[in-house]
Amino acid sequence: MSTVAVAKKDFRDAVQSRALWGLLVVFVVLSVLLTYSYVEFPDLVSPGTDPSIGGLVFFTAGIVSLFVSLTAIVVCYKAIAGEREIGSVKLLLALPHRRRDVLFGKLLGRMAVLSLALAIGLAVGFGFAFAMLGSLDVVTVLLFLAATLLFTAVYVSVVVGISATTGSTSRATTFAIGFFVVFEFLWDVVPIGAVYVANGFSLPQQMPDWTFLVMQVPPSTAYTGVLTSLLPDVADSLPTQTFAGAGVDAFYAVPEIGFVVLAFWLVVPLAIGYYRFRGADL
Amino acid sequence: MAAIELDGLTKRYGDVLAVDGLDLEVKEGEIFGFLGPNGAGKSTTIDVLLDFVRPTSGSATVMGLDAQADSLAVRRRIGVLPDAFHVYDRLTGRQHLQFVVDSKDIDGADVEAIMDRVSIAEAADRKAGGYSKGMRQRLVLAMALLGDPDLLILDEPSTGLDPNGARQMREIIEAENDRGTTVFFSSHIMEQVEAICDRVAIINRGRLVAVDSIDGLRGQTETVTTLTIDAGGADAEDAAAIRNRIYVTSAALDGDRLEVTLTRDGSKFEVLKALDERGVEIRDFSIDESSLEDLFAEYTTEEQEVPQ
Repeated sequence: MSTVAVAKKDFRDAVQSRALWGLLVVFVVLSVLLTYSYVEFPDLVSPGTDPSIGGLVFFTAGIVSLFVSLTAIVVCYKAIAGEREIGSVKLLLALPHRRRDVLFGKLLGRMAVLSLALAIGLAVGFGFAFAMLGSLDVVTVLLFLAATLLFTAVYVSVVVGISATTGSTSRATTFAIGFFVVFEFLWDVVPIGAVYVANGFSLPQQMPDWTFLVMQVPPSTAYTGVLTSLLPDVADSLPTQTFAGAGVDAFYAVPEIGFVVLAFWLVVPLAIGYYRFRGADL
Repeated sequence: MAAIELDGLTKRYGDVLAVDGLDLEVKEGEIFGFLGPNGAGKSTTIDVLLDFVRPTSGSATVMGLDAQADSLAVRRRIGVLPDAFHVYDRLTGRQHLQFVVDSKDIDGADVEAIMDRVSIAEAADRKAGGYSKGMRQRLVLAMALLGDPDLLILDEPSTGLDPNGARQMREIIEAENDRGTTVFFSSHIMEQVEAICDRVAIINRGRLVAVDSIDGLRGQTETVTTLTIDAGGADAEDAAAIRNRIYVTSAALDGDRLEVTLTRDGSKFEVLKALDERGVEIRDFSIDESSLEDLFAEYTTEEQEVPQ
């Protein structure tokens, strides 16, 4: 009950974020333009295939993962840290809420806000695609939505968790952007670096299997893995590999590893955030 | 049962002792003033009552419940106007109050009546970000009053209010108290506390320096009245004669101005009569009762050493 009260209040507040709706407009325009070029000029965008809704799904996933990660940071970095910094948390916690009610309420409220924005964006995007292609595979779209909502939940959880670790928004910003930069931009070099160190500061002929696991750590990579496991036929029909595990012979080299990675990101940062928030003097 | 009980409450932030072994009991049904200069530890003490901060040692109970272990139960039964709060800029006044109703699960809350009572009804559907400081203070007071709590904790409630608003705040506090609500409020201004409190605690640098009723505090000062007389033709001999009377603690002549200080039981009239009998022409006089303000200053300015 307490969690729901906080979530409702938080949704009403965060849904009015101008930055969120600004970002949504940019991404809707971008996705419509890209969908248009994917359908009209398939050779430019994805050579060697006929445009299909399935292909479009994986194509859209790339844009969506960028949109979700950026908006999650913009909408959620202040979730707890911002309230602590300006003092509205005193109104919140003068009422009978546990700190975990506050944290989960924030999580639900911000997830609802992001899901709403995403639903609007995807409705426009897929509506446009349907108009261009003349057909729409409902099951494919629904599975895509399920995977995307999971991914959204994960990113919101990560950023809310980060926000709960500190009472300073500038620190929360640094941590959230740092997370994004390290895991979504720089991560490619980490497996290579790890192998380099593990191999006595030289690179082996062949990369060991465990580097595959390290590569799967970024949430957006895990999201693609999840999509691949949910839509195997669609993934197979594409000319490019959506999943990098093909050449690796290990029990974990399956797309389903994405679920494990997402579960990790869903739980661990939030747990750390809760631990820090619970013990904090406001 | 005490409404609030502090037992050796101590809170240390690094090297700074914000609250230092505070013992205090607030009885049920009273209006209790918590007085001290800025930075004395008032807000830290209140923050412990609300479980915003955890004590280094000692304990605090509210309505017989441990302020840390049973904080949720405590916060169900109290209404709070915190210090240095911030409203939700993007939510309306009404949405703020609705949030309290949802949070405390209040049945049949009359949100309209509460808004009327604190005079923000006409701004109810405007976003609180556009409220003036005084309106925000009223809004949060309304949030505190919702659901008729057993105890009101008000941290510097008059902040940002104009004199009219401060008077209204005082009336609301008194009306709530008449209905049986215990009121605990902090202030750094004696005047506000003096007007309505049953009892007062004065705290300075984290330590309790006095707890008493207003009259009790007044009684603790030796000299309470200063009589300033514009006396034509008074000389040193007149002053000496006055000085020798009982209840008079001093009498100083400065030109035509005679300044006489009396203890509590001294009669101002007797002094004036005695001067008249000595042939001194009394053109005018003024009386200055030593205020609690002076007492407060006396309690809190002695040996002020600010920890660096």
